[in-house]
Amino acid sequence: MPSLDYSSAADVTKRLEERLVESLTGETSVSRRTVLGGLGVAGSAAVGLGSSRAAASSDHDDEDDHGNFGAVGEYRDLDFDPHEFLTAFNTGGSGQDNVPQQVYEEDGRTVREFEFTAVDTTIAIAPGVEFQAWAYNGQVPGPTIRAVEGDLIRVKFTNLGRHAHTIHPHLKNLNPRMDGIPQNGPGVLDTGESFTYEWIAQPAGTHFYHCHSLPLKEHIHRGLYGTIIVDPDPERVRENPREYVNYPGPITDDFREQLVEEAKSRNHEYAENDAVNEMVMVMNSFDTNFDGGNEVYAANTRAFGYGVGDTDGEGNWTAGETKRPIQINKNERQRVYLSNATEFDLINSFHTHSQFFDYYDHGTTLTPTLKNVDTIMQCQAQRGIIEIDYSDHQPGLYMFHAHQSEFAELGWMSFFEVV
Amino acid sequence: MADKTRDTTTDGGVTADEEITQPLGLPRWVSALLPIVLLVLVLGVFAFTSPLAGVQSGEPLPDVTVTHTTLPSDETVVLHVTNNGPESVTISQVLVDEAYWDFRVEGAGGDQTLAPMESAQIVIPYHWNPGWDLEVALVLSDGATFHNTIVAPSQSPGFSLGLLGTLAVIGLFVGVIPVALGMLWFPYIKTMSDRWLHAVLLFAAGVLGFLAFDAGFEAFELAERVPGAYEGNLLVVFGIFGALLLVQAISAWREGRVAAGDSRASSGLWIAYLVAVGIGLHNLAEGLAIGSSFALGRVSLGAFLVIGFMLHNVTEGPAVVAPVARGKRPSLGHFAALGVIAGAPVILGGWIGSLAYSPTIGAFFLAIGVGAILQVDWEIARMVRDAGGRVASATNLLAFLLGLAIMYVTDLFVAL
Repeated sequence: MPSLDYSSAADVTKRLEERLVESLTGETSVSRRTVLGGLGVAGSAAVGLGSSRAAASSDHDDEDDHGNFGAVGEYRDLDFDPHEFLTAFNTGGSGQDNVPQQVYEEDGRTVREFEFTAVDTTIAIAPGVEFQAWAYNGQVPGPTIRAVEGDLIRVKFTNLGRHAHTIHPHLKNLNPRMDGIPQNGPGVLDTGESFTYEWIAQPAGTHFYHCHSLPLKEHIHRGLYGTIIVDPDPERVRENPREYVNYPGPITDDFREQLVEEAKSRNHEYAENDAVNEMVMVMNSFDTNFDGGNEVYAANTRAFGYGVGDTDGEGNWTAGETKRPIQINKNERQRVYLSNATEFDLINSFHTHSQFFDYYDHGTTLTPTLKNVDTIMQCQAQRGIIEIDYSDHQPGLYMFHAHQSEFAELGWMSFFEVV
Repeated sequence: MADKTRDTTTDGGVTADEEITQPLGLPRWVSALLPIVLLVLVLGVFAFTSPLAGVQSGEPLPDVTVTHTTLPSDETVVLHVTNNGPESVTISQVLVDEAYWDFRVEGAGGDQTLAPMESAQIVIPYHWNPGWDLEVALVLSDGATFHNTIVAPSQSPGFSLGLLGTLAVIGLFVGVIPVALGMLWFPYIKTMSDRWLHAVLLFAAGVLGFLAFDAGFEAFELAERVPGAYEGNLLVVFGIFGALLLVQAISAWREGRVAAGDSRASSGLWIAYLVAVGIGLHNLAEGLAIGSSFALGRVSLGAFLVIGFMLHNVTEGPAVVAPVARGKRPSLGHFAALGVIAGAPVILGGWIGSLAYSPTIGAFFLAIGVGAILQVDWEIARMVRDAGGRVASATNLLAFLLGLAIMYVTDLFVAL
């Protein structure tokens, strides 16, 4: 094994980064292939330098023969911040600037109205690697909608993309016109067309929406998907507790109260909810070279977006500007609304280190469907709620990632930093 | 020829005149036709009695080739398919990116079945994306699949006068003008000593030799995309030998004329025209490459590429005029004709390539070019020898090598 020449490796990396950025102005797949090829060259030229560029300049002089895996460099595209996306909930009353929204009463029902557009755009999926995406409101994943059970979700959708699109919600929807498929209602919406979708927010849980135009694989994996969170209504839970548990035994008053409390903690309109740190994660992946397999995997689009910036492989690490762990307060309960949008692979998974968690499949129950596990799997469009407790852990880094090693090494590799 | 004296042979026999008469006293045409008649009879017996009916084991495999694809609009993909197999095939379904998709078959007599050697177009209404590869699979009635990947799709230009004009301008710049410029070396070449003139001729032979290999490799590469039933590689071999022998036959006929005292046929002008035809055929193939890259939407004709082509082709000028450096200068009309024959086919090739692109035509044209060029090299060597030069002198060998080298270097600038 030749000794690492860090400075020359860093030069190579820098050159390649420049070349990547230059090549991104091109639109041909060839240039993108070159980009990926270039990444490979970078890897070999730097002898698997990985992300230890800063370590190169740090003062440790025993060389790490194995290198560290991870994408080289930082993200330059600041249009999308995966750390902001984690906690960006659009409720009609408050939300993201790029999602026009309002909340009002209509016929005794709360209406949460959103304006959605589909656009063709370019997103950064790995440092220096761009992907031509189709995106709701210009972001991948699409905006997270949050409502309460029984509300009316009204989405004024306009298609500004080159292709025909729809929005199909994974909700209990009683009107076929509102299903957002080519064969029903307005069908697909061509460029410039609009349609207002109306869905009752039911059942409580964490749900999924996506474009249902054909070809499906293309329309989903290009980025047209997002999360709809339907908070349980504690009053309704008190009336119909059985609907929220998979449990045939007697419902005692204590149990009923316990379920109501859980519902309050899930409902963003209740103070109990403030004690919980809630995060949205959409597991997604990208086929950059059209071979029907993914080159980049991530939670929330950016490969290693929640990874460390740099590490020397000896326990010393620094947070990068754009690649940094998710900082969490050990005394808060952690809740992840997780969904899987991955195309071309049968399943994706979520695994936490040093930690066992409760999992609520589809989020439709108030008692866990899986208790005390450290790995769950989801097929495409499957989703669920993960509740994690780090209160008794020492501060520091705790990894979480897909436990398909391939996915992890291709970007779906992240950290919580417990403080 | 035959003298009428009877030679006695050592065995005491005599050569028999009867041996050139026909057996049984039949007329000559009977003995010419008899094998053919018998062959027809045997074939008939074979067809009607089928003596090998029980011998066949297994089915011949289906074989369908997608020769090329066109994208006439952003909502349409057209696959040009040929059935190479010995049996009819039915295209029952089409997969686009592993999804069943609408399609219709055109040009197969109104159905989806292709007879052996039949070609058709499969028209798929699909909203493709520029630059995003598409993988298409044909599913036959027995479930067999034939895959084809459309790499980095972009819209086909279709027929327009604008495109023809564009190709004409490109052809002018990469073909006609460089050749004409190269021919301007003529007055200088005329002043050269024999030794250096022969070196220039061998340099030209080196240039042509490079082009022969260049076009030959390209032809075989293209031949891989020729439907199997047309035997692409053998078609290329046939094209090379066909052109070589045809041009050589013309050359031999010319020599016959020279022997018969036709002075026009003995001049270097003849060779100059042969060189021009050879280079013209090569440039036709170059034009085909440019035209077909337009047809396939693979065009990146930057200034750099055009400059590369010009440098590449300017060396063809002296090759054309070197043979007429001795003796009386031909009229300017001849020079114009030589230039047009050598350079203008780029334009023609461009038109053919953009309008009637098919790998079969492309490979065949390239092969013809190779054959013509090989014959020209042969001719140049003979010309030097006839003028009293030594073909394999050190100067000449180095000149030939220089021709190869210069073409190699300038070829680096040309990548369609």
